[in-house]
Amino acid sequence: MGFKTLRQKINLVLTVTCVVVLAALPVIGAPQSWLLYAFLFFVYLAMANMWNLLAGYSGLISLCQPAFLGLAGYTLAIGTWVGIPWWAGLLGGAIVAGVFALLISIPVFRLSGIYFAIGTLVVPEALRMVFYLWRPVGGQMHGAGAGYMIKEIGGVSTDLMYWWALVVGIGSILLVRLILRSNLGLGLAAIRDNERAAASCGVSVFKLKLYTFIVAAVVTGLAGGVYYLYQGYIEPSATFNVKWTMTLLLATVIGGIRTEEGPVIGTIVVVFLYFLLARYAGYSLLIQGIILIGIMLLSPQGIVGVLRRSRLYRYVAECGAP
Amino acid sequence: MGSGDIITPLVMGLLLGGLYALIALGLSMVFGVMRLINLAHGDLVALGSYGAYALMTVVGIDPIVGLVISVPAMFLLGLAIQKYLMGRAFAISSEAPLIIAFGISLVIQNANQIAWTPLSRALNTPYSHMSFTIGARQFPLSYLLDFAAGVVVMLALRYFLTSTYLGRAITAASQDKKAAQLMGINTNRVYGYAFAIAMASAAIAGVFLGMTFPFTPTSGVSFLTIAFGTVIIGGLGSMLGTFIGGMILGVFQTLGGYFLGPAFQMLIVYVIVLVILAVRPQGLFGR
Amino acid sequence: MSDNVQLKISNIDVFHGTFQALWDVSLEVNGGEMLALIGANTSGKTTLLDTVSGLLHPAKGTIQFEGKDISRMDPYQIVELGITQVPEGRRIFPEMSVLDNLIIGSYSAGARSKKMENLKQVYEHFPRLKERGKQIAKTLSGGEQQMLAIGRGLMADPKLMLIDEMSLGLAPIVIDELFKALREIKKRGITILFVEQNVRRTLQEADRAYILETGRVALSGTTAQLCEEDQVKKAYFGTDVCGI
Repeated sequence: MGFKTLRQKINLVLTVTCVVVLAALPVIGAPQSWLLYAFLFFVYLAMANMWNLLAGYSGLISLCQPAFLGLAGYTLAIGTWVGIPWWAGLLGGAIVAGVFALLISIPVFRLSGIYFAIGTLVVPEALRMVFYLWRPVGGQMHGAGAGYMIKEIGGVSTDLMYWWALVVGIGSILLVRLILRSNLGLGLAAIRDNERAAASCGVSVFKLKLYTFIVAAVVTGLAGGVYYLYQGYIEPSATFNVKWTMTLLLATVIGGIRTEEGPVIGTIVVVFLYFLLARYAGYSLLIQGIILIGIMLLSPQGIVGVLRRSRLYRYVAECGAP
Repeated sequence: MGSGDIITPLVMGLLLGGLYALIALGLSMVFGVMRLINLAHGDLVALGSYGAYALMTVVGIDPIVGLVISVPAMFLLGLAIQKYLMGRAFAISSEAPLIIAFGISLVIQNANQIAWTPLSRALNTPYSHMSFTIGARQFPLSYLLDFAAGVVVMLALRYFLTSTYLGRAITAASQDKKAAQLMGINTNRVYGYAFAIAMASAAIAGVFLGMTFPFTPTSGVSFLTIAFGTVIIGGLGSMLGTFIGGMILGVFQTLGGYFLGPAFQMLIVYVIVLVILAVRPQGLFGR
Repeated sequence: MSDNVQLKISNIDVFHGTFQALWDVSLEVNGGEMLALIGANTSGKTTLLDTVSGLLHPAKGTIQFEGKDISRMDPYQIVELGITQVPEGRRIFPEMSVLDNLIIGSYSAGARSKKMENLKQVYEHFPRLKERGKQIAKTLSGGEQQMLAIGRGLMADPKLMLIDEMSLGLAPIVIDELFKALREIKKRGITILFVEQNVRRTLQEADRAYILETGRVALSGTTAQLCEEDQVKKAYFGTDVCGI
């Protein structure tokens, strides 16, 4: 990534300034609500970037994300009950998610994207039941399967949690950029275009999809862990819930699937929607579903698609593309 | 738990299989023709249950009688969904149909929740809790009705697909789309009818499901998983295969519940689906 | 020119996405004749047939059938008008029986009412199909599948039959049988436009031929006319072919 022109340098400066400002928010005494917005933004951003990587760039419509973030969250929670420090639990959770992705890939990778979707839909549901019935530590709580508090985090400041989220969120953008420009990214593009042709060219289709799936699982798990660290408790029905998937789908689709900027823009919209619709909790999925369908039919390339057609964006975008 | 009588769960599993087949037949046909796994199928079945519930509580019509209204209504809804939503989705991108189906799924779930609250409902009729006896054993009458309905619908669909022009067109389009178009088949129209028929069968499934088990707005996922499991086991596109797949799944589930306890019943279905996907994805009767 | 032009293709350009497959192609088919389309694999023959059938649409130019402009029509409408295609690779419905394959051929409204008569005719052309009525199509031999594909096309009650690479992969004795059937079909007044790689056989059977080269019409005319072209003789036919 060379930064040659003046425009590119300006764009870089702007981006870095943005990040610095966001990082400084806790320090400069920004209101709690702003911090919450930004926190959620970073968490969802990381997950949306991963979903975009899977569905947009690799042709894997994964409905399995709640499984990864949930497993990571439970690893963190249970870890704190057996004396594992929270930061180790976070990292461990991400690894657990990755290993789980590896295991799951055996059944769900057997077939094309369509079967993949259903297979991945089933997994979080199964996990929800598992964690509803299974309490490895802490004895029975009102009815089997109620959640876990996350222990020993009284001393951890919310600022620290915020910065973790920021690192994960920004990191996900860089990771996606890195992957897309690597051999892995090239292979994925070939697979998306024509899987059989790519395979006959020597692209190891299964391996590339697997790597992407695992990477996405790890990052999603990490983001999930950070989320539950902040929330302080975890329980099965909200964790292994399709609402997560809906959020990520919406963020990616609204922003623009298969674009790098899409998840960023989409996540901003989704977090905004989240707070807007908080009053209408009963209607939120309905509205989100209608928006999703509407966007897919009217502007499949999302907001980025609309912007790309406008001249202002083309001007700005020329700076960013190396 | 295991009380020594394995015959009862065995028979119940077989009968339940008829119900499962009923749920799955529409999904099987739609996938065979359009290569679309309709993620919203489970919620559409739930919609059928709620529709029957509405007719029952508001107008006082028996759910089975109410089919006279709900089947054509769902049929028309299916034509509309295919024409205005799914049909367009295919032209947009490869992931669009899936995403739109997902959106439809959640819209229906939420709509049902708003209309009927998350409380679980059931279609309680004078006969839905009766049982019948064979020898020394008692079985729920609803299970028998479900099985009978499954057989009837399966035979009807089979007849339709093999002996009518439109049914043959659907079958042809599922085997070779280009050749079907060259036969003078309007594939867009045919897809619409296939989808509509699937919706109609979902309406029927919803009624019998509702009479057998209580349902909630989020039951759709379990229904979809059952349908998918049935189709996976039985192989796609074959109505008879789907029916047998349903019975196999039903037996596994009831036997699993018998040995491991009722809480595990749904979990067993999930595990079976994943195992079959791993080991023999084309199903027992698939091509 | 003949006043019996049934199909008239005028200056069409056809694209596959951004790739141009046909360049300014013009072609005329007279009613009741047997017309051949000759050319290498990449010449655009199948693209041309698919365009006539409505699976593709020309970006430029028109196609007229019996005076009607069919360039923008859907495939099923074109079948209704009386043009049927026997596609490359036969593409019979593999899991359906022979009889079901034939019946589905009569799907369009005009053909349905004449189902039984057309079925009788098909059995006269291809008695073997009657014997094998209940057999599942994918278990037939190559030659039988081709017969089935042609029979299926006939069930649509066509005025014009487009046949793509009929003899691909078949033994000469089978090809003879098939051409005999085509001659009988032609006698019934059905126009035949066929695409072939077997040039020698093509010239023996066809009334006229067009030669396509990378998406353009290179030559056209009757067999005799084509044989007079020196370059053509050498490139396509070899001297012994034209000495028929």
